[in-house]
Amino acid sequence: MRQSTEKNRKTQGRFSTVTKYLKEYRGYLIAGAFCILATNALSMTIPYITKIVFDLLERHGSDSERLRWVLILFGLSILAGIFRFLMRRTVIWASRKIEYRLRGEIFGHLLKLSPSYYDTHRTGDIMVRLTNDLEAVRMMIGPGIMHISSTILTFIIAVIFMVNLSPTLTLYSLVPMIFVPLAVYRIGNLVHIRAMRIQDHFSELTATVQENIAGIRVVKAFRQEESETENFRDMSSRYLDLNMDMARLQATLNPLIMALAATLGLVVLYFGGRDVINHDIPLGTLVAFFAYLSMLFWPAIAFGWVVSLYQRGTASLDRINTVLRTEPEIRDNGKEAHRGKIKGKIEFRHLSFSYEDNLVLNDIDLTVEAGETIGLVGMTGSGKTTLVSLLARLYPSARGKLLIDGVDINDWELESLRNQIGFATQEPFLFSRNIAENVAFGAELTDPDEVSQAADTAALVKDIEMFPSGYETMLGERGITLSGGQKQRTAIARALLIDPAILVLDDATSSVDTETEDEINEKIKAVLSGRTAIVISHRVSSVKEADKIIYLENGRIVEMGNHDQLIAKDGRYAELYRAQLMAQELDKL
Amino acid sequence: MSAADAYHEEEALGKAYDARLMKRLLTYIRPYRKWVALAVVLLLITSSFQIALAFLTQVAIDDYITPGKLSGLFTMAMIYLGVIVVGFFASYAQLYITAWLGQKVQHDIRMQVFSHLQRLHLGYFDKNPVGRLVTRVTSDVNVLNEMFSSGVVTVIGDIFMLALIIGALLYYNWKLALITFIVVPLLVGATFLFRARVRDVYRLVRLKLARLNAFVQEHITGIKVVQLFVKEKRTFEQFDEINRDLRGAHFRSIYYYAVFFPTVEVIGALSLALLLYYGGFQIEAGLLTFGELVAFIQLVERFYRPIRDLSEKYNILQASMASSERIFRLLDTPPAFDGPKEDVATGEFKGRIEFENVWFAYNENEWVLKDVSFTVEPGEKVAIVGATGAGKTSLMSLLYRFYDYQKGSIRIDGVDIKNWPVDRLRSHLALVLQDVYLFSGDYAANVRLRNETITDDQVRTALSRVGFDRFLTEAPDGIHTRVRERGATLSTGQKQLLSFARSLAHNPDILILDEATSSVDTETELLIQSALDELLKGRTSIVIAHRLSTIEKADKIIVLHHGQLREMGKHHELLQQRGIYYRLYQMQYKKQAAPPTG
Repeated sequence: MRQSTEKNRKTQGRFSTVTKYLKEYRGYLIAGAFCILATNALSMTIPYITKIVFDLLERHGSDSERLRWVLILFGLSILAGIFRFLMRRTVIWASRKIEYRLRGEIFGHLLKLSPSYYDTHRTGDIMVRLTNDLEAVRMMIGPGIMHISSTILTFIIAVIFMVNLSPTLTLYSLVPMIFVPLAVYRIGNLVHIRAMRIQDHFSELTATVQENIAGIRVVKAFRQEESETENFRDMSSRYLDLNMDMARLQATLNPLIMALAATLGLVVLYFGGRDVINHDIPLGTLVAFFAYLSMLFWPAIAFGWVVSLYQRGTASLDRINTVLRTEPEIRDNGKEAHRGKIKGKIEFRHLSFSYEDNLVLNDIDLTVEAGETIGLVGMTGSGKTTLVSLLARLYPSARGKLLIDGVDINDWELESLRNQIGFATQEPFLFSRNIAENVAFGAELTDPDEVSQAADTAALVKDIEMFPSGYETMLGERGITLSGGQKQRTAIARALLIDPAILVLDDATSSVDTETEDEINEKIKAVLSGRTAIVISHRVSSVKEADKIIYLENGRIVEMGNHDQLIAKDGRYAELYRAQLMAQELDKL
Repeated sequence: MSAADAYHEEEALGKAYDARLMKRLLTYIRPYRKWVALAVVLLLITSSFQIALAFLTQVAIDDYITPGKLSGLFTMAMIYLGVIVVGFFASYAQLYITAWLGQKVQHDIRMQVFSHLQRLHLGYFDKNPVGRLVTRVTSDVNVLNEMFSSGVVTVIGDIFMLALIIGALLYYNWKLALITFIVVPLLVGATFLFRARVRDVYRLVRLKLARLNAFVQEHITGIKVVQLFVKEKRTFEQFDEINRDLRGAHFRSIYYYAVFFPTVEVIGALSLALLLYYGGFQIEAGLLTFGELVAFIQLVERFYRPIRDLSEKYNILQASMASSERIFRLLDTPPAFDGPKEDVATGEFKGRIEFENVWFAYNENEWVLKDVSFTVEPGEKVAIVGATGAGKTSLMSLLYRFYDYQKGSIRIDGVDIKNWPVDRLRSHLALVLQDVYLFSGDYAANVRLRNETITDDQVRTALSRVGFDRFLTEAPDGIHTRVRERGATLSTGQKQLLSFARSLAHNPDILILDEATSSVDTETELLIQSALDELLKGRTSIVIAHRLSTIEKADKIIVLHHGQLREMGKHHELLQQRGIYYRLYQMQYKKQAAPPTG
């Protein structure tokens, strides 16, 4: 019972996603429907004209009359062709437009979803919805609509013509015809089930390969190559067997349809032939019947095919709907949202934050005055990155309060807030564009002066000058690969370029060598005046001069003070400081 | 054309036909050539029978219906039915065999790719992302299936069918046949024109689709940056531009298809009109019967089908060329190492390890290990210490022959490991990696891997020796409790213990262990500690050590620094030297010695 209501909820208003577009393009679709009607009606006259010509020949009619009919036949077929052309140009055209709009709608929605959505959904899965599923929906509304209307119309028109020619022969030939959509539908259902089975097994097979390659070290270390291959052979053989189950159906379906078609021909030949012998109908009628039968046949097959298009299309539509109906977790609070220039005062008031039942931040109480620089240190997993992520509202805040310039972070307008916070992270994501565009990513326009200024502060200029095309050098898979340190410095330049009121450097120089790091620290100090800065680092040298240093452990602040105070305290921070001094010494040995 | 288009173009294009690739692909059907021959014969039967139906119709009309012989018509109908039934079974058998051939070849190629992957050395896996290799084994092989199952045999069938129809038409009435053939150049011309256009537009669509997918993929991966810099609107605008480009490409392809299909139909109507008109003269002149004209009409209709399918077959061919090229490139990558020149080390395995002036670099001239020499006697416990990047992991990978060293020599029992068969060498070793890799399956499967000689009892013993039994009692299905991919539901400590049990169950002579650095709670720490003792008991071992207790118990400590062996000796000896080890001790290990607080 519950299951069925759940299913109802899932499928409720399933089509509303596409009906709004169908309405929008109804002009195309109505025109398309007219073209479908016209082309089918015109095509149907051709066997009838064939019959007339045969009758003429039997009656020894004149050659000129035959020529006239033959020309009419050709003319009508051209007319039918024009409508067929227009049919595709309207219906398929509209389906591509709808596909385009729907793809835009999905991607636009994806842009709004919060980071937590992407933590739990794999990119590959999202891509499948935007590609395969979208295509399945388009097939349903484009070719699907076109073929179903065409099928129904052809059938009706053909039957009208046939009844007109010979009601009894129509009756005889329609009896075997009934089996065609029935067979297609029944076997089609089986095909659907077996196709799912193949698909499931293929996923399993893919996962097996994936695990084998990801764990290749273990495989080799424990000499599992042979047995892995044997195991995979079983998987692959099973895949073969499942495919052969499917092949058996398909090997039945096509010949069966051909055989049914031939049987129809047989029925018409025998009973029609008898009628001709008895002079009930002329030979031309028999010939026309043959032609109508072959015309009816394709729609009968198409009917089963359209049913499967519909099944696949609705399944895909449901998958798309689950994306579109996921509400973004983080949104503006509505029209009262606070905008304006940030001065830079940050207050954490007894803030705690859990992520999937893990308490990541525990009772953080901290005030950062505007213009201050804060150093944040602690072990991996102590909550440093989470703390700064909350500043940009990447995650919904939990218990406690976080205020910026005295305004609760949830009351700030998202755009205004994020526009004034510059983030540079340890593993920055850069886009496959050129360096200048990456540095200017946050700006509206790429201003060369601003870019070179930001690059200079991030100590990136020397590197850029060495690249083949300077600032125009492409990054990523179709350009050069930057070293970890170069990536980090590009990200720092990107964060600086937006002229942020609050600058966050989240271990942003971990892969930069110490000399360059010192250079960056020097240069950044100059641009920090009037900005609040939060610097996370594993290196004491980066935070030593901060106004306040915070030591986080298991989500709690365990030490707070400036460098001298914390050294005097001789706690965790002092220990870290001494260890690093020693490491430097060691490195020189 | 923008740089982005140029890049994706490479992906989207590729040759439509490459004789060299095709020749190599065809070698895969050679083992099944008898079946191919049978399929072709069956296909010829089905094609002939289809033609026969048209012939029977003609005979029925001319010899029985027109003269009015009802009894003969019944016999004809029965023959007709017989042809249908035989045709059905022949067609079924042909389709089944063809599908089987495609699947068989697909299976063969897939197995070849997979087992070749198993033999490639680790450097190859470092360079190629997992996803790409998975695609080779899965999707790329699937593409080939289509070519083998619907390509090879049906092309032969189509050609035969066309020849048969042409023959039949000429046999009936060569004059009328020639009149019918008047439209053939039109049809062929239209098809070629269409094929060229569709090929271009197909490439364009694939190009734009590749760009769109790359854009979406990249911006979903980098969604945080997009949102942090509030660039949703601009990103959408850029997306929309690419999306609109794709729509434009689709519109063009709609145009060509919309022209092509009606054109073929009009050409068909033209040939029908010609047949009816000129056929009429011949009937009047008594040169043609009604039945023959009907048969003509039916045959001409069949004539169009293979030609119409041509463009589809062309796409299959193009896709399979691209896939086979990628697959062959993988298969042509030479496997790990050449076998040993001589079979050696026949005596009893003792486990004496010698490193003599070993130099190693992943990339040329960036030496990771420089001139390292040391000896491990059978039964000795050796700890390797050093800062991050000192070369500890590389040292162990060399011993395992994951990579080959450039200079010097590594010997086990006096024989260079390059002269050991890799398989036998590894059978004496067990490796415990720092980040434990667990497979989806159950506990038992993760302990024994796929070594079926290890019994359930042995699995249980191994698990209890490392102290995992306490978790087994809570586990719903004991040793057959499910483990998710990468052990997602297990704690770090549990994963560690499972990997210890795995090594224990395989009972190696030499244990190589990379101790985990990740912090665990005190209780688990104690558990791991005693499991480790159990594991090392009575075995030659080399441990990359992070725990003070492990180091203190070692017979020998090797200190690696910047790829060089700088110090070697026992714990207290090295401390007295006040060198690198002393400093490492002060930095990392000393605090572990402090009594636990709280």
